[in-house]
Amino acid sequence: MGTLGTFDSFTTARLGIYAAQHGLRVTGNNISNINTAGYTRQRIDQVSFKTGANDRYRSMMDNHVGSGALVTGINQIRDPYLDIRYRNTTSDTTYYDTKLAGLQEIASILDEVGKGITDGDDMSKGDGLLYAQLKDLHDKLLEYSAHPTKDNEILVRGSAESLTSLFNKYADRLEKLHQDYDKDFNDNISLANKVLANIRDLNKSIRECEINGDNALEMRDERNRQIDKLAEYMSIKVEYSMEDVGAGIMVEKLTIYMGDSNPDPKVETDSSILVDGLYCTQLSVPEQKPVLNQYNGLTQEAIDKDPNLAQYAYLKDYLYQKEVPLTADELDGLLADGITPIALKNADGTDKTDADGNQLYLMGTNDAAAEGIITEKNDNYTVQLGKLLDVHDKEWERHSTDWTAVTGGVVGEKAKYSYTVSSQNWDETANPPQTFQIGNNTYTLGQGGFTAAVANDPAQMAAFIVREMNAQGMNPDYVVTANGENIVYTAKNAGLVGGNNGGPAAAPNPNVQNGQNLISLTLGDNSPGVDSVPPTPNPPTVPEAGTTIDPVTGTETTVAYREVNGAWYKITMTTEHTHEVALDDNDLYGELQAQREFLTEEGEFCSDKDRLIDENASIKRGIRYYQQAFDLLAQKFAEAYNGLNQGVMLDENGNEMESVTGTLDELRSLGVNIKVAEKSPGGFGDGYYVDSDGRFVGIHEGTCELDDVGLTVNDTLAEAFTKINKAFPFDPPVDETDEAAVLEAVKGFMKEHGASADDKDAKLTVKKPIPMGGPLFSNRNDNDDPTGITAANISVSHSWSHNAVKLIPKFEVLFGGDIEHSTQNTNADHMVSMIDKALTYDPRELNGSDATGPILFEGSFNDMFSYIMGVQAKDASETNVKLITSSTTLVELDSSREGVSGVDLNDEAMNMMQYQKAMNAAMRLMTAIDESLDRLINNTGVAGR
Amino acid sequence: MIRATTGGVLKSYRSSLMNSFISMNKSRNTVLSQRNFNSYAEDPAAAAKAFRLRKSRMTVDSQHDICNDTLRKYQAGFSCLQSIDEVLDTSGAIDGSFMNTLHGATLSWLNDPNGDAREQLTKALDQMSESLVQTMNQKYGDDFIFAGADGHNVPFEIKDNKLYYRGVPVDAMEPELKQDNGNPVQTDDGKNYVLDSAKTVDVPQYQDDPANPGNPLTVTADDGTKYYVNDGATAPIDTTTYDALTDEQKKEYTIIPGATPPTDNKYYKTSELTSEADHEKLLNSVLKDENGDPITATINGKQCYISDATPGIISTEDYETACKDAEKLKYLANEKYFVDIGLGFQEDENGKLIESSGFNAALNGINFIGYGLDEDGDPKNLYSLVQKMKEISDSVPEGGDWKDVYDDFYRLVQKFEKGASSFKTEFTNLAASTDKLEINEKLLSDNFYSLQEQYAELEDVDMVDALTSFLWAEYSYNAALKVGNTVLSQSLMDYLT
Repeated sequence: MGTLGTFDSFTTARLGIYAAQHGLRVTGNNISNINTAGYTRQRIDQVSFKTGANDRYRSMMDNHVGSGALVTGINQIRDPYLDIRYRNTTSDTTYYDTKLAGLQEIASILDEVGKGITDGDDMSKGDGLLYAQLKDLHDKLLEYSAHPTKDNEILVRGSAESLTSLFNKYADRLEKLHQDYDKDFNDNISLANKVLANIRDLNKSIRECEINGDNALEMRDERNRQIDKLAEYMSIKVEYSMEDVGAGIMVEKLTIYMGDSNPDPKVETDSSILVDGLYCTQLSVPEQKPVLNQYNGLTQEAIDKDPNLAQYAYLKDYLYQKEVPLTADELDGLLADGITPIALKNADGTDKTDADGNQLYLMGTNDAAAEGIITEKNDNYTVQLGKLLDVHDKEWERHSTDWTAVTGGVVGEKAKYSYTVSSQNWDETANPPQTFQIGNNTYTLGQGGFTAAVANDPAQMAAFIVREMNAQGMNPDYVVTANGENIVYTAKNAGLVGGNNGGPAAAPNPNVQNGQNLISLTLGDNSPGVDSVPPTPNPPTVPEAGTTIDPVTGTETTVAYREVNGAWYKITMTTEHTHEVALDDNDLYGELQAQREFLTEEGEFCSDKDRLIDENASIKRGIRYYQQAFDLLAQKFAEAYNGLNQGVMLDENGNEMESVTGTLDELRSLGVNIKVAEKSPGGFGDGYYVDSDGRFVGIHEGTCELDDVGLTVNDTLAEAFTKINKAFPFDPPVDETDEAAVLEAVKGFMKEHGASADDKDAKLTVKKPIPMGGPLFSNRNDNDDPTGITAANISVSHSWSHNAVKLIPKFEVLFGGDIEHSTQNTNADHMVSMIDKALTYDPRELNGSDATGPILFEGSFNDMFSYIMGVQAKDASETNVKLITSSTTLVELDSSREGVSGVDLNDEAMNMMQYQKAMNAAMRLMTAIDESLDRLINNTGVAGR
Repeated sequence: MIRATTGGVLKSYRSSLMNSFISMNKSRNTVLSQRNFNSYAEDPAAAAKAFRLRKSRMTVDSQHDICNDTLRKYQAGFSCLQSIDEVLDTSGAIDGSFMNTLHGATLSWLNDPNGDAREQLTKALDQMSESLVQTMNQKYGDDFIFAGADGHNVPFEIKDNKLYYRGVPVDAMEPELKQDNGNPVQTDDGKNYVLDSAKTVDVPQYQDDPANPGNPLTVTADDGTKYYVNDGATAPIDTTTYDALTDEQKKEYTIIPGATPPTDNKYYKTSELTSEADHEKLLNSVLKDENGDPITATINGKQCYISDATPGIISTEDYETACKDAEKLKYLANEKYFVDIGLGFQEDENGKLIESSGFNAALNGINFIGYGLDEDGDPKNLYSLVQKMKEISDSVPEGGDWKDVYDDFYRLVQKFEKGASSFKTEFTNLAASTDKLEINEKLLSDNFYSLQEQYAELEDVDMVDALTSFLWAEYSYNAALKVGNTVLSQSLMDYLT
């Protein structure tokens, strides 16, 4: 339209006002949301509006003028690259921040810098609690060494009790810390799940808005905020794609993958889908995890029995079916053990290999219950991804089809027959009349429209044949057409006549009844057709046709071949199904992974299995490392002092004393370990004295020495009887088969020769080896069991605390006790020296440890403690540097993001003024037009009136 | 940055302000705690070094205490020995003070032929020897100084004028036994050993009395003297043969009258007869058992009596006791107990101390005042020597002549001088050890303070630096706050009218 309509100008002005109004509204919205977390500044998409571009008959003199401005949408301003960098750095920062926080918690327990005051000595200030307590024990032992009196022993014991309490306290706090982190980790899993669900829900809402034409900017802001939050928990990769929702509508689809964080290139689970449009997964940390599978043939029992199988024990850790690469040696090892893993094949039948060319084998199963898989405690906090589900718990699926041209095969041809019309000599006058049969009907020439003119005209004749066949409802395999002088019968489908590959059942046979063979077959038009033959499978490019199901993922892949336009194509149709995924040890990154590592990593205490799961396991240290290092310290301490306080009595030359005699009190004052037998299996010696080895101690009367008999508290009644009868035959003989008589005889013997606990003044003789001392430390303070001592349970033994075991100042007795050597307390000296003695701390020696690592440290108790603190400090110091670096980067990136997406008041003020002015101008335009029209309408043509 | 937005600037400011505040807080903590680092992680290297230094200080502290204790003990011992040395002084001239020393008293005794002051001198000897023992029983703190490794029990004890060291007689010595083919000789009853000093007499052998088998053949001379006929004696001659002898030859025979003298007299060679008196005399001079029977021993296949003139036998129990005592004394004299005074104190792979790495703090009293017996059987112990002198002195009656005992006394005086000389040597050794301890104690003391200084340098803050840092941090923080005011204040909005 070349001419401005009377009121079109108003539209131009109105659109200008609208556009300015939109601008002001968006500006206002930006200003309002300046403090809204995650808000991305918006701007209007404004275009120039022009009509009449196709005005064909417009005047050449008429120039187009636009009709104003249109606001086509409102957009956000974001930089996707900054988002990626920000989220990656967020994962870095939260990882280091969480790790550092954990290390600081450890430090709050173990770091003793500046802690503790001893002796009121200013220079001792800050020696540290454990350090000071070891010093206190040292000093008390030194005093005991100089004066091994009862009082001094009590002081030593008191100091030892304080020390064990300190060990217990540290261990308790470490365990408490572990429990706290355990809870925190599970809470974070829940929070991460909420975030995942939020993103999925937002995806749904945004999708619905988009379908309805709304770009849902505020929801996108919230979604970005949730994605940022998700990046704090784990490393992620975000992708946007367009999805066809039908009716020609394309909407945006958000897919979030895990961030490919695992340094092991063979691992693929670190790129698992977290969110895919309307679907999302949920994280879980099962308390139990299945550990065996039917495919590798390993059972826990078999592993336990055969140490050689232990090397494959790691295979049991695959939660779900998984493709495991095995080297030839590994495979040989498994085969030698009678295990035959299932070799995986590609869809084309070739061997499935990893990037290094190692054959992949199927390990694990998806069906734990059905296959009787045992479970074990999920103590490494393996995280599992659930199935991708939408809000209605519908499972995710993804379909894809791929067409690929392939070479080879035979392209099918259609059977084709023809006859020449002119050669038929149709004559209406012929007698008998000439006939032509189609289907069940016979047509006589000259009757019913079947004239010679029709019969002799190929086009008409072809149309006649088709029409009559249709009239009869026939569905022939051939298509009938005219071609020049010929009627051509062409098979509808390619294939050999009478074949089974789509060709016609038989060649056409038009029955023309005129006494002669009316069909004149022309060479070249008499083709029986050719069967189509797909290409011969030739993997990998030409796999077998058919459907395969991936046993790991459940993905269905259907391969088919189609011949299209003389070429063969391979059609690959894939349907991917969602499945649960057990994440590998290093798949996560960010806060969750830092917490997992803090909860589980054992550093040098890790086992070979741990190293197989994570090759860096021995240099990652979490609470478990510090607990075990501390346990090892407590264990070595207890072993050292228990060892020092147990031995045999020696003479002045360092040889074992042959015997020692004295009352119970005298012997105990020497440190000889004598106890009262309780609940002996034989039931004959209860209440009699035994030494620490369980040997009954005899009365020194010269008449009988129980030592000669060799009775022990562990003897059964029969054993005791045999021993006694051999050394001192019963007279008269006792019937061995009469249990009551045997018991009476043995009890009688004990009464006569044993030392009863009731007889305090009895002179007891203990023969070589004469056990002295006993364990000072045990795993509970109500027993004397020195096994399995940890920092958490180390206690002063029951016997020591109840004076049944004495702190042995020396094992030597000079000249049978004739000479005192009260100040030569060699064993007490050893105990003093032990505080400062260098010991080897080998993780393999830790009770119950399956560590295989190298020696941790060599030094004194104090040195070891200092070493533990040093390890923590070094780790914390390094982590702090990394945290500072990443957090600085994060702040910069955040500022950059703000620079792009944030609202700036100056900017908005400018926009406000700009839109205000534009609006004023548009309104002014409207006034101008109004005035013009007013002039035109009301004041034009009045001249001369 | 292409675009700075209000929110971005604020975020950046918040972060910077927080850093500034953290920095100021850290500086403040440094000032308040007066430490360069308040956690291991702040400076792992320095913290580890400080802990090592503290550990060394603890060790040195302990070594210093032990060294100091040992030194004080040695110093106390030195004082004791010094006073003993004065009592033993063998160098002084005979003057008034000379009488105050044991040596002086013994010399005075030797110079007192008339025994005018013998009694007083004897008493003085006794008292001074006792005071010597008392001095050797001195304590330092709770421990007896010269008790070797038995500091809690008094080392020397006098019972029945015999000195015991930790329950063992100081004069104990393994008795020397007579040997027969390399084996100690025991008495035939097996109850005793025969001492090497024993004098033996062959057991006399007599002819058996045919009329009374099992009893010696006894003959009676004219004078009624009874004789035993020695084993192997020649047959007696008859009267006819006797009469044919010359008078000189006849003197060699003893006449044993027959029933009808002289016809049936018998004549024995006197040398082949043993009178009953001589036999009794012999029996009276040899050791007898509790039944009064002579104790015999067999040496070189011959049975013999043991003269009672010298100690000839020792019961097996006494012998074993003496041997044990001698063994104990040897052990006690060599007894050691080691303390850690910073010489490296290290045990070998068997848990035995490497002796050179410790200091032997045992002061064995018997090494100073002697123990055991010498080749003459005289005691080596000074107290015992003096007691023996006292016995000799007491054996001389008042106003009696001391000539008979002078030599014995003089011999003992000489041995006393020898013992005093040994004492002096040991005393000098102790003095040297005391010097060594003193030097070591000083070294440890210096080391202790040096270690303190070292870790103080590491840990303790330099206040000037700390305060400067804090003030700077505070200044920076205040500046950051000031800047914050401007961040929040102005925008174009404020200028719209």
